[in-house]
Amino acid sequence: MKTTRRSFLKTSALASTAFGATPLIAAPGKKFRTAVIGSGWWGMNILRDAISVGRTKVVGLADCYERPLNASADEVEGLTGDKPRKYKDYTEMLRKERPEIVIIATPDHWHALPAIDSLEAGAHVFLEKPTAHTIVESRAIVKAAQAADRVVQVGLHRRIGPHHVSGMEFLKSGKVGDIGMVRMFVTGGGSIEKPTPNATPPDGMDWDLWCGPAPKRPYNRRLAPGGWRNFLDYANGTLGDWGVHWLDQVLWWSDEKYPKSVFSTGGRPVRGDVVASEKECTSDAPDTQIATYEFESFTATWEHRKYAGPGAEPHRYGCYFYGSKGVFHMGWRDGWTFYPSSRRGQKVHVDPDFDNEKDGHNIPPLWRDFIDAIDNKRAPVAEIEASHRSSVLPMLGMMSYKLGRSIQWDGAKEQVVGDAEASKMLRRDYRKPWTYPV
Amino acid sequence: MTNARTLSEYLRMKCFAFALAGLLWSGVSHAGDWPIYRGPHHDGNTRERGWSTDWPKSGPRQLWKANVGIGFSSVSVSDGRVCTMGNSEDKDLVVCFDAVTGKELWAHEYEAALDTKYYEGGPGSTPTFDGDRVYSLGKHGDLFCFNAKSGKVLWNVQLEKQAGMRMSTWGYSGAPYPYGDKLLLNVGSAGMALDKKTGKLIWKSGDAEAGYSTPYPYKSDGKQMFAFSSEHGYVGVDPDTGKEAWKIAWNTRYGVNASDPIIVGEQIFISSGYSKGSGLFKLGTKKPDEIWRARRYRNQFNCSVLIDGHLYGFDGDSNSRAKLKCVNWETGEDVWEDGIGFGSLFAAGKTLFVLSPKGELMVGQASTKGFKPSARAKVIGGKCWTVPVLANGLLYCRNADGDLVCLDLRAKK
Repeated sequence: MKTTRRSFLKTSALASTAFGATPLIAAPGKKFRTAVIGSGWWGMNILRDAISVGRTKVVGLADCYERPLNASADEVEGLTGDKPRKYKDYTEMLRKERPEIVIIATPDHWHALPAIDSLEAGAHVFLEKPTAHTIVESRAIVKAAQAADRVVQVGLHRRIGPHHVSGMEFLKSGKVGDIGMVRMFVTGGGSIEKPTPNATPPDGMDWDLWCGPAPKRPYNRRLAPGGWRNFLDYANGTLGDWGVHWLDQVLWWSDEKYPKSVFSTGGRPVRGDVVASEKECTSDAPDTQIATYEFESFTATWEHRKYAGPGAEPHRYGCYFYGSKGVFHMGWRDGWTFYPSSRRGQKVHVDPDFDNEKDGHNIPPLWRDFIDAIDNKRAPVAEIEASHRSSVLPMLGMMSYKLGRSIQWDGAKEQVVGDAEASKMLRRDYRKPWTYPV
Repeated sequence: MTNARTLSEYLRMKCFAFALAGLLWSGVSHAGDWPIYRGPHHDGNTRERGWSTDWPKSGPRQLWKANVGIGFSSVSVSDGRVCTMGNSEDKDLVVCFDAVTGKELWAHEYEAALDTKYYEGGPGSTPTFDGDRVYSLGKHGDLFCFNAKSGKVLWNVQLEKQAGMRMSTWGYSGAPYPYGDKLLLNVGSAGMALDKKTGKLIWKSGDAEAGYSTPYPYKSDGKQMFAFSSEHGYVGVDPDTGKEAWKIAWNTRYGVNASDPIIVGEQIFISSGYSKGSGLFKLGTKKPDEIWRARRYRNQFNCSVLIDGHLYGFDGDSNSRAKLKCVNWETGEDVWEDGIGFGSLFAAGKTLFVLSPKGELMVGQASTKGFKPSARAKVIGGKCWTVPVLANGLLYCRNADGDLVCLDLRAKK
């Protein structure tokens, strides 16, 4: 399953032309026995799009919370007539259903084990981004995919979204000139966070299983369902959520594979102090974070703040590429825009074209590319090695943020240089009975 | 908080545009009262006739307006008084106005978090008149009984703390229902009954998140029964004992069963959003049989009305391209749809009063041929998710920010 970056660049361009215009009709061809691990809101978004592509027979759904599990099974029956069996324990589902494709849409701390178990059970995997919560477990997924010789598509749909593809062509055409700096950012609104009382988990939610290999905290509705991205035991905050998309764009554009050093700083100047008592808690992810990624030939920065809005910026999120001929902005709902440095130059703008206008994403072409990659035994656009490399970047940033110092990174060996404490953070002990994968 | 004004300042903003109303227009008829959410017949259909949509181009005359704080509470009207709820600066407000002049008669405030979760927050339940009393239920379980004339608190109970009940994700939203000497509440897995004179517990149900519907009365073999919703489905309950007669498992993604059921004879109609849809079931057994399921008719929380064998209501969630639809009661099939958005409606006989999510009022016949408004007017701004009320010729509309307007639809004599 090894691919060079160039070959999947080609694949991506091909995919966008070959599949971009395909109407939503049931495609002919084999239907894959498909199962979902994490059948909540996002898992169902992926599954609905998979169903619309027409190559899916849904055989099983797994979730540690009965409410979305039951609702999703009912919805699948309405959409397809399939009656997927419902499981709390995904390993039982893998044994009993023998799925050919597994969709994984659990929180980050529950990515590595299901992905590896699914691959070892012989399934192709559609894995939600980022690939994992810590670096070594992410690498373990790559190894498992190579050993099983199965296709893994990671949910980095910005590798196939039409304006991203055309923007990347523009960037690589030389029209932006020599690029020396990249600035990724997202802004938002927000204010002080009051602690929310811990509580009994909702009916039908297995809280112990939800926490799984990660530390077990008291149940709090700020955390689940839904808010876990801002709790660092289970995810890597905004950098791990939004950041990975933009960092992935940078690696997609660049010929480099990893930075040589990473530094991040930030805090919670607006959301306030972290509270985590037996009685109540707040989230603990930063509301302000800056990260610097030093590559061989350029430097990329990331910044986010969850307050103040866009302010004087024309864009609220995205990625500026600063070149000798002007500034290129890769955005989301604002498409992409080139601002020439010369007064006589022409501003160029392309609007986005989403498959899902409401959520603003392009999962259907990503799914079609995944199926085509399985059919033709090729690497998909967001194959696991490259997606792992992109997913490692927020993990490194969060390590530096926690340590308060920069990290020298040997990307070839995936090792921290000269910092034993930082090296320990490449992995973490799992809560029993789970074992950290290597 | 988007608005830092205090509640008393809000209330002073009211405008008394029309002081002599009673002399120029037909007298108030108490037969047109609307003492509880969905009205005296629990069908969202008013029987009164003394209204007219013969308004000028500028729209119906606004008699008064007020701001009652953030929330989605509708209004109840009884004996010349109108009552609703809102929230400002993390305090709930229960307020009672003169129905015609808008003069504030009394108000009561208590500490209650606004509690925004993907929406503006504030109370979702509507106060209920019961003779000389008013009952109100806040989203966190603050239950009050007031003297309707003076606003004096007769008793109050904090259900979450004192009765150990678990709040549902978006808070208690069903209106309190006075039945005999009891007050029925949609709290717990299958409702709860308190002594309506004292607030003392008579019976309660299991520890599950309640649904968001109002206790719905129906008769079974001559016996008065009530239907409640919970996060798990709908359940029929004997109000005297709390004993469950039947249960329909009706799971939705976020545990939200919010619209009131409609029961006609042996048939019950239920509907939920979040891709769930609707179902018609036959009552009579512990596990009622499904007659039909319509996945494309999803009442997220505003209820349908049933007129001449057809349901009229809104399909879709608040964040989707919701539509007004007409659906056949017998078959569950769509008859027509109209892309009005995530609105609400009630009926006056066979006329539909529809409020769009942006505050446009549209009035037209309930017809299987489509919705053709014979009158329309923009009557309020902001986000309108709350169903308006027509009582004694006066129409009350509110928005999420708590602007409440009273419009004069009384027919000239």
